[in-house]
Amino acid sequence: MSEAEQAGKVVMPLAKALEKLAKLEQENKLEQADLFAARMLAAMPEHPHILQLAGIVAYRNGRTAEAIERMEKSEALSPQTPVYPRNICEVYRGAGRLDDALRAGKRAIELAPQDSRSYFNLALIHYERLELDDAVRVAEQALTIDPEFAEAHFEKAEALLLAGRLREGWESYEWRFKLKQAEGMLPKTDKPQWDGRPMEPGKLLIIGDQGFGDCVQFGRFMPWAASQAPQPVLACSAELLPLLGQLPGPGKIVTRWDDAAGYEAFIPLSGLPRLAGVTLENIPPAGYLAPKPALVARWGETLERLVPRGKKRIALVWAGRPTHKNDKKRSLKLTQFKPLFDRDDVVVITVQKGDQIAQAGGYYGRAPLVNLGPEIEDFLDTMAILRHVDQLVSIDTSVAHLAGASNVPTSVVLPYAPDWRWLLNRDDTPWYPSLRLYRQTVPYQWDDVIRRLAADL
Amino acid sequence: MSSVQVKEGSCPCGSLLRAARCCEADKAQWPGQEAAALLDDKAAEATKLFNAKDYDEAEALALKILDAVPNQRAALRVLFEVRKAQKRFNAADALGARLAGLPAEPAQRAQANGQYAQHLIAQGRHADALPFAAAALKAAPRAAQAHHVMGVVLTETGEVAAGERHYRRAQALLPREDGMVLGNLAWNLKLQGRLSEAEALYEKALALRPENMRGVGGQAQVLFTKGEHDRADRILDDALARWPEDRILRLLKVMADLALQRPRAALERLGPPEKQMPPELLARGRAFMQLEQPQDAVNAIAAARNIQRERTGLFYQPEALQARVARDKAYFTADRVRPLPKAGPGGFMPVFLLGFRRSGSALLEQLLAQIPGFAVGDELAPVADLAKAVPGLLGGGDYPDVLDEMLVGEGAYVPDRLREVYEAPRRRLGLMREGVRFITDRAASNVWHLGLIKLLYPEAPIIHVLRHPYDLVLSNIAQDRKLEGNAHAGLPGVARYFALQADMIKHYRGQLTLRYLPVRYEDLVADPDAVVRRVLEFVGSDASLPAALALNNQTVPEPWPAHFTVREAVHGRAAWRFKAYQAALPNLFSEVAPVLDPWVREFGYEEQGA
Repeated sequence: MSEAEQAGKVVMPLAKALEKLAKLEQENKLEQADLFAARMLAAMPEHPHILQLAGIVAYRNGRTAEAIERMEKSEALSPQTPVYPRNICEVYRGAGRLDDALRAGKRAIELAPQDSRSYFNLALIHYERLELDDAVRVAEQALTIDPEFAEAHFEKAEALLLAGRLREGWESYEWRFKLKQAEGMLPKTDKPQWDGRPMEPGKLLIIGDQGFGDCVQFGRFMPWAASQAPQPVLACSAELLPLLGQLPGPGKIVTRWDDAAGYEAFIPLSGLPRLAGVTLENIPPAGYLAPKPALVARWGETLERLVPRGKKRIALVWAGRPTHKNDKKRSLKLTQFKPLFDRDDVVVITVQKGDQIAQAGGYYGRAPLVNLGPEIEDFLDTMAILRHVDQLVSIDTSVAHLAGASNVPTSVVLPYAPDWRWLLNRDDTPWYPSLRLYRQTVPYQWDDVIRRLAADL
Repeated sequence: MSSVQVKEGSCPCGSLLRAARCCEADKAQWPGQEAAALLDDKAAEATKLFNAKDYDEAEALALKILDAVPNQRAALRVLFEVRKAQKRFNAADALGARLAGLPAEPAQRAQANGQYAQHLIAQGRHADALPFAAAALKAAPRAAQAHHVMGVVLTETGEVAAGERHYRRAQALLPREDGMVLGNLAWNLKLQGRLSEAEALYEKALALRPENMRGVGGQAQVLFTKGEHDRADRILDDALARWPEDRILRLLKVMADLALQRPRAALERLGPPEKQMPPELLARGRAFMQLEQPQDAVNAIAAARNIQRERTGLFYQPEALQARVARDKAYFTADRVRPLPKAGPGGFMPVFLLGFRRSGSALLEQLLAQIPGFAVGDELAPVADLAKAVPGLLGGGDYPDVLDEMLVGEGAYVPDRLREVYEAPRRRLGLMREGVRFITDRAASNVWHLGLIKLLYPEAPIIHVLRHPYDLVLSNIAQDRKLEGNAHAGLPGVARYFALQADMIKHYRGQLTLRYLPVRYEDLVADPDAVVRRVLEFVGSDASLPAALALNNQTVPEPWPAHFTVREAVHGRAAWRFKAYQAALPNLFSEVAPVLDPWVREFGYEEQGA
């Protein structure tokens, strides 16, 4: 059936309209998708698939409650459609409704027991609920159906690593470069990935992959790599250059692939722990980064002038990069640190960078606050500033790693299901002895975490 | 003087000349001076008629001459004077400007421009008068009158130091002391806070010219600011006995009543509201505020604002402000400001006192004035003036984008040069006297210029006086004070203007590392010692507080800012005033609540149960 004119309106066949809506959503044309979904819903408010797609669009536009309402209605109208519970379990998970997410995830598998994606979704939910054995088991079920399912391998790796089963975890962790978001992280080359065996000097390329925090964390393996393959070439982003340049071992450091030519094998930094056979017992010690003395002196003088005296200096980072896959889980609003701000004996020095510094403009708390972020040029500045504070309070972001690597006393606030590197059931970390971990006891609930942290200062 | 009917084809300016001979005339087609001189005899006749007060004849003849020769100087002058006397201001404006622009000998040029400048001054259009006053002065640099007019223009446009120079030059050029010049100079010194000099000068000026009514008012204001309330009262009472119908003197007396908490006397003096003008109605409103009669206060204020809206079309016009905010937000971001060069340490540390009008920053400045090591700069030579000078120093371009030029070559020295420009008037006024480490800067425009302040004084303390936003709008709407964008037109305008400022501050605080301390007006009036101590600790002063700081009556060296007029012991009468208004008039704030409530929350007032 072709489109037809009816009383001046374009009438589109339902199938074509649904296809158009799905396409708009997939192409990230979310505003258009929203408008189109609203029109479709106005015309057919009880159509389950319109409700389903409109729910997805609402979710992607940040309207989670509305998304859930639409998708629940959709599922109620068509309870045998497997993709509906499979979709809504992700939305429930994003909203922190983990019981509902679990119920929907299981229902999706009941309805489509051969759908690997449903198992993968359930594995994510188990991870969020810290049911790590279940997460591994369900991820393996997904892999039984689809052995090349990179996300499921990676999810399994994260569950194993979080459980402290590092040796098993590292193997599955290798799948991370097959993830869609890892495209471009490694050079396009026919050279093999390094297997850890000794090499000639200058023939190994080490790549500072993943986030800044990972590079700082795994930078400690550089001396080990250089002991096997002397004078490796280190490729990293310009932002990391001043930091990773401090590490002993590299022959040269480059920021462009073209400058790295001549290598015979490559390895990402995050691949070194596996090759080095790292377990919780043999992690190389922290303290491998240090600020430049001149910068330490300069920032010391600046802080003397800017910071009110006689109070504990608490540095603060409250938000991470918004594009990080777990940012919703790990980032807070500045105002959520109120128990810290209510203390009379502290001065808060924010070392936050990025767009979120704007939140400091709305701060009117009791403790004095110095918004230092705008003056910070790079990680070297941050590291020098941290020399002049009593403690850093940070979310799980690169600055926490920086503080850990340079032995700065730090309190890190972590979501209920944290990134694997923070392990479970402990308030310390073998990666960084100067860090103390404050974990959520209830998913997405920060209040008691910040209260505990503020009380402990 | 009789009025003349407008004829078809007449110029829209109201000159009653044909448009083609007036505002739409092609100046290139005007006859040359020699041709124009052919009608000199006729023009002299028109002048004679005018001088003989035969205005109708003079006007008719001038119209005829100008229809033939639109640039005939004497006829133009006659018609200008006639239209001015008829209060046909548009016509007088057009004719006066044309007269001022005619090519002429210096003496004629000086006369034409000087007269036109005075015509504009009489309408309160001091800024418009500036180029004509300047042209008159350039044409006759040794004319006392030209300097006098320039003194008036500069004083009333805020260039008080330059105004003083011209007044003094005018007096020096005159053969003997002139009461009017000295009176105006005294007012200028009053504006500079040099009260003792102003007082002495008023004595002299009024002895020379006792009928200078405005001078008498100025003298009373000087004495009142000095705290000599009884003398000021007596002078005003005597003046009102001499000039009982003068509304300005009466209003001054009412202001004195209100400053001394005599609201009933003020109301009595103001008389029935039906005959009152907006400034009087607003004073009436403030009197009722003092009497804690919300309904009456709001009625009087609303009546004043209604008149302003209906008669002068007053309404909030935020567009220009919004455009400036958008422009400055786009430029002053962390990444853009970080690499810009900053000025080195200066001769003193400014302490910027930020706060929406009526927030209590004046009270804080009065209290700080009593602390050793502090001098008060109030609104003297604000940073906003430097912003205007920036493009010139950087070789042209639009502010603030032109600041990027500071990254190049000699541009790096511009922050230091600007800082010197900032310091010069403070040095001249004696604020940088021995022992002074801190000079307060309370310029209202600083709120827009924290970015530039960051470049000049990167680590200067910024003390932001917060007050409950409902109290701020309530207090502002009762004041007879013009706000930017005509925000004073009504409560919604004040609220939106407040939100615009709050948003600008929020932006700067987010994007720049500022040495910023918020203090609350409510805390300041409840425990002034504690708040001032916090401020001293924050700015790095180790001075101790004088005994009885809250009495706010310590001897303070001059210059004194204007707000010292209302210097009084710290009191909490105005804190949380809005609550009584909300109780009495539940809908009073309903229109502004959506604008203000987010700021009430952000400032933490909700937590305080407000």
